[in-house]
Amino acid sequence: MAGVIALVAVIVALLATGLGRDPSVIASPLVGRAAPNFTLPQLDGPSVTLSKLRGQIVVLNFWASWCTECQVEQSALDRTWQQFQDSGVVVIGVDFEDTAGDARNYVRTANVTYPVVEDAGARAALAYGLRGVPETFVVNRSGRIVSHVVGPINAARLGNEINTMLDARSR
Amino acid sequence: MSQLGTYLLVLALAVSGYGLVAAAVGAKTGRPALVESARRCAFGLLAAMAAAVTTMLVALLTNDFAIRYVAENSARETPTFFKALALWGADDGSLLLWNLILACYIAAVALRFRRDRPATFPYALSVLFACQVFYLILVNGPARPFASLADPPADGRGPAPLLQNHPLMAVHPPFLYLGFIGFTVPFAFGIAALLSGQGLDQWVSLIRRWTLVVWCFLTVGLVLGALWSYSVLGWGGYWAWDPVENVALLPWLTSTAFLHSVMLQERRGMARLWNIALVIGAFSLMTFGTFLTRANVISSVHAFTQTTVGPAYLAFLALVLLAGFGLVAWRLPTLRTPASLTSAISREGAFVANNVLLLAATAIILVGTTFPLIVQAVSGQQVTIGGPYFNHSVGPVFLLILLLAGTAPLLPWRATNYSRALRRLRVPAAAAALVMIATASAGVTELTAIAGFGLAALLFVTSAQEIASGLAIGRRGERGGAVRALARGRRRYAGLVVHAGLAVVAAGIIASSGLGQQTQVTLKTGQSTVFAGRVLRYQALRTDQQPQRTVLTTTVSVTNPSGGTAGMLQPRINLYPAATAPIGSPSIRRGFVWDLYASVISLQDNGAMATFRFYRNPGVNWLWFGGLVMALGGVAAAWPSRRRRSAGSGEEAGAMPEPAVARAGAR
Amino acid sequence: MKPGGVLKQARTSAPGLLVLIALVVSVATLTIVAVRGHPPVSRAQQVQQIAAGLHCPICKDLSVADSPAPLAQQMRQEIASKLGAGESADQIRADFVAAYGDSVLMSPPRQGLAGAAYYLPWLVLASGLIAAGVLLRRWLRASPPDQAGPVTSELSEAQLRTVANAVAQLRAEEPG
Repeated sequence: MAGVIALVAVIVALLATGLGRDPSVIASPLVGRAAPNFTLPQLDGPSVTLSKLRGQIVVLNFWASWCTECQVEQSALDRTWQQFQDSGVVVIGVDFEDTAGDARNYVRTANVTYPVVEDAGARAALAYGLRGVPETFVVNRSGRIVSHVVGPINAARLGNEINTMLDARSR
Repeated sequence: MSQLGTYLLVLALAVSGYGLVAAAVGAKTGRPALVESARRCAFGLLAAMAAAVTTMLVALLTNDFAIRYVAENSARETPTFFKALALWGADDGSLLLWNLILACYIAAVALRFRRDRPATFPYALSVLFACQVFYLILVNGPARPFASLADPPADGRGPAPLLQNHPLMAVHPPFLYLGFIGFTVPFAFGIAALLSGQGLDQWVSLIRRWTLVVWCFLTVGLVLGALWSYSVLGWGGYWAWDPVENVALLPWLTSTAFLHSVMLQERRGMARLWNIALVIGAFSLMTFGTFLTRANVISSVHAFTQTTVGPAYLAFLALVLLAGFGLVAWRLPTLRTPASLTSAISREGAFVANNVLLLAATAIILVGTTFPLIVQAVSGQQVTIGGPYFNHSVGPVFLLILLLAGTAPLLPWRATNYSRALRRLRVPAAAAALVMIATASAGVTELTAIAGFGLAALLFVTSAQEIASGLAIGRRGERGGAVRALARGRRRYAGLVVHAGLAVVAAGIIASSGLGQQTQVTLKTGQSTVFAGRVLRYQALRTDQQPQRTVLTTTVSVTNPSGGTAGMLQPRINLYPAATAPIGSPSIRRGFVWDLYASVISLQDNGAMATFRFYRNPGVNWLWFGGLVMALGGVAAAWPSRRRRSAGSGEEAGAMPEPAVARAGAR
Repeated sequence: MKPGGVLKQARTSAPGLLVLIALVVSVATLTIVAVRGHPPVSRAQQVQQIAAGLHCPICKDLSVADSPAPLAQQMRQEIASKLGAGESADQIRADFVAAYGDSVLMSPPRQGLAGAAYYLPWLVLASGLIAAGVLLRRWLRASPPDQAGPVTSELSEAQLRTVANAVAQLRAEEPG
C-alpha cells in the first residue's frame, strides 16, 4: 500500500512539472554563443556581413511581410534604431520566406529606416534556429548572442538591454 | 440558451451527485430502495445531458453568438454540417460530448441490470456516478461551454480550419470517445468487486462483453483517426507517433491483453489479481491520456491548448491510481488464487506471453511519450522522441506478437501434443517461408519488412486454417453442421477472424512504411512528370470562393505510360481567413495494392507554377480493410448468444473455473 | 523422387521436419538479404535519410522528410548543399543541433540522461520476461488441484453418453 502511494506521488510530481509550462517554448541554444556569420544582400543596397559589424551592438530581427505580429513590433524597432544608431548600435531586418517585391512594398509602406536584407533559401534563418517570425537576437560587440526574443519585442525592454550594454562598455 | 444549458448541466450534476450518494449509502447499508432510486437517476441524468447537448446544437445551428463557445468555434458562413460538428471541436464542447457518452453508458448499465443484479452493482453504480460527477464539475466550473459573452459579436470566429475540412470529423471523435469512456464500466465493476470483496471471480465474465464492445469502438476510433491523418492532413502518412495518438493506443493494447488473460480466469481460475489490475490499468491509461491531451503539458496536433483544467485532470488521475491500485494492494491476500500449470508450452503459457508482449509495447510507448517531459523535469534538457525511436523499439515487439498470434491457436490448454501442433503448423510455416522468399526476390532489402510479411502470412494462414478445419469438422456432422459449429465456437472463430484482420493490418503497415515512394516536383501548367509508372501532367488551377474559405484546386491528369488516361488528381489548397497558413487537402486515387496520393505544397505566379508532392503508398487500403475485419470480429465475439445461460444475471453463473462439459458449447 | 519422399516423410513421421525446413529457409533468406546489403544510395536518398532523422521545427510531429512546410523544404535544400560541400551526415546533424538544440533530432542524443531512452525498451522487455518466467515457474511447481473428485453416480447412463459425445466433438474441434 505504501508502495502504491509512493509510486503515485512520484508520477504525479513528475507530471505536475509540466503544468504551467508552455510545451511549445523551446530554449534557443545560441544564447551565449557566437552569432553565426552571414553575408546577405540588402533589398536596395550593398551586402551586409555580420562579422564586419564586430565592435557594434547588433539587433537582428527576423520578419516577413505576411507576418501580422511583425507589424506590431515595427514601430518599436524603428524607435530603437532612431534612438541608438549613433551609439554604435545597428538594427538589421532579415526577411524570411518572402518575395523581394512584397518585402519592398512593406518597407515602403511601413517606412522602415534601418537596413533590411534578403535571406534566400532561409540559410541564415536556419543557422539561427528560426521557428517562425518574428524572432529577435541581440548580438554584443564581441559577436556573442546575449538574448533571444520570440514574438514582438518590447521597446522598453530592448532599450534597457542596449543601455546596459552601452554603460558596461563605458565603465 | 446559455441559461438553459447552464441549468441543465447543474441539474445533471445534482442528479449524479444524488445517484453517487444514494448508491454508495445503499451499498454500504444494504438498502435496495436507495440503490433502485440511484439506478433510476441514471435515466434522469441521461435526459438532462441529452437536453444540454441538444441546447448546444441548437445554439450552434442558430448562430447564438452570445454563448462564448459558439462565438469561438462557429461562424455564420460555416456549412451547417460542420456547425453541428463544432459541438466537439474544442475543449468545452468536447467535454459536453464526453459527459453525454458517459451518461449513456451509465444508463445502459442501469438498463441492463434493471432486474437481476450482482451484489457489486450498487458499488459499481456509485463509482460510475463518481466519474460522471468529476466531468460534470468540469463543465460546471472551469470549462463551462455555456458561458456567455456580455457583448456578443456579430459573427463568430469559426471552427479551426482543419476541423471543418472533412466529413471524418463526424465519426472519428465520437467513436474514439465511445471507446475511451466505455472503459469506465469495467473499471467501475472491478472497483466494486474490490470494495465489496464479493464477486471476485464473477466480475470478469460480467464485464467481458462490455470490454469487448468498448474495444470494438476503440478499434474503429483509432482506424478512423489514421484514416483522417491520411486523407485530410496531406503528408502521405497515417500515424505520426504524436503523443496523443500514442496515449490513445495504450488502453487499446491493455484491453487487448485483458481480453486474452480473461480466458485464463474463465477457464482455469488463474490470474484474478492480474485481470483486475489490467482493467484498472486500462482505465488509468485512458485517464492519463485525457490529462495529457487537455492539460497542455505536451506539444501535439491534438492538444487543446487554452485550458486551465490541467491540475483538475491530474488530481483525478491521482485519485484513480490511488483508489484503483490501493484497493488492489488492500485486497491482495484475497485476490491471490492458487493456480497451477502443467506445461509452459500451452494455451496458458501463450496467454502469459501475449500479456508480456502487449504490456511491454504499452510500457515502451508510454515511457517514450512521457520521456521528453521527464527529462525536462529532471535536467531541463529538451529532447524529442519521434517516429524512428518508436518504430525501432516497438516494431520488434509487434513482430513477436504476430509470431505468437500465429502459433498460439495451435496450442491446447494444459499440455501440448507436440506432433499434433507441429502438424498443424506445417502449412502456415510453409506459407511464411514462401512469402519471405517472394518478398526478398521482389527486391525488398529491409529485413524487418521481409520478416514482417512472413509473420503476417503465418498469422493469416494459421487463422484461416483453424477456421476452415473447425467448419470442416462441423460439416462432417449433420446438415448445417458448419453453421452450428460456427455458432457453438463463436468466440473462438470470432477471435480467429480478428487475428486474420490483424494479419492484414500488419501487412498494410509494413508495406506502407517501408515500400513507399515519394517525390516533390514543381510543374508549370502543361508540364508533366513521370512517377510510379504514370505520367502526371499539371493542367489547371481553379479558384472557388466559398462563404467560409477560398479553395484553390489544381488538376493533375494521370496517364498510363501506354497512353490510356487513368484519371485525375485534384489536390487543393484551402485558404481560411482565420488561419495563418493555407491548409492543404490531398487527392488520392485508391487502389487495391497501392494508392497514388498527391498534395499541392505551394503555388507560384497565380498558379502558373505549382509544387506538388506525389506519393506511391502501397498497402494502405489493407489497413482500413483489416481494421474493419478486426472490429467486425470483435462484434461477432460480443454478440449475445440466443440462449441466455440463466434467466437472471446472465453470464455470472458461468465463470466458475473448469466449466462443466455441458457448457462447453457456450464458449 | 527425393523431394516427394522427403515431403511424405515430413507428412507422416516427422511433422516437425517441414516446420524446421520452413524455419531454416526463412532464416537463410534473411541472412542472404542481410549479407547482400543495400544498393548504393543516391544523393536524393541521402537527403531523405538525414531529413527523416530531423524534426521539422514548426510542425508538431513530422520529420523534415515528411513535412510539406516551406521551412522543411528549405532545410532539405540546406542538407543537399551541405552534402554537396562534403559534410558528413553527422556534421550536418550537428549543425542543426547547434542552431535548434537537441530537440531538432527525431531521436534523443545517445549521451547523458536522454540516452537512457535507448536502454529502456530492453529493460522493459527483460523485466516482463523475468516476471513471466517467475510466474510460470510458480505455477508449474504448484501442485495441481484435485482432479475430478470421486466419481459420484449422479449422472445417468444417457447423460454420461451425452457427456462423452460432447467431449469427443470438442476434441475434434479444438487441437490437442
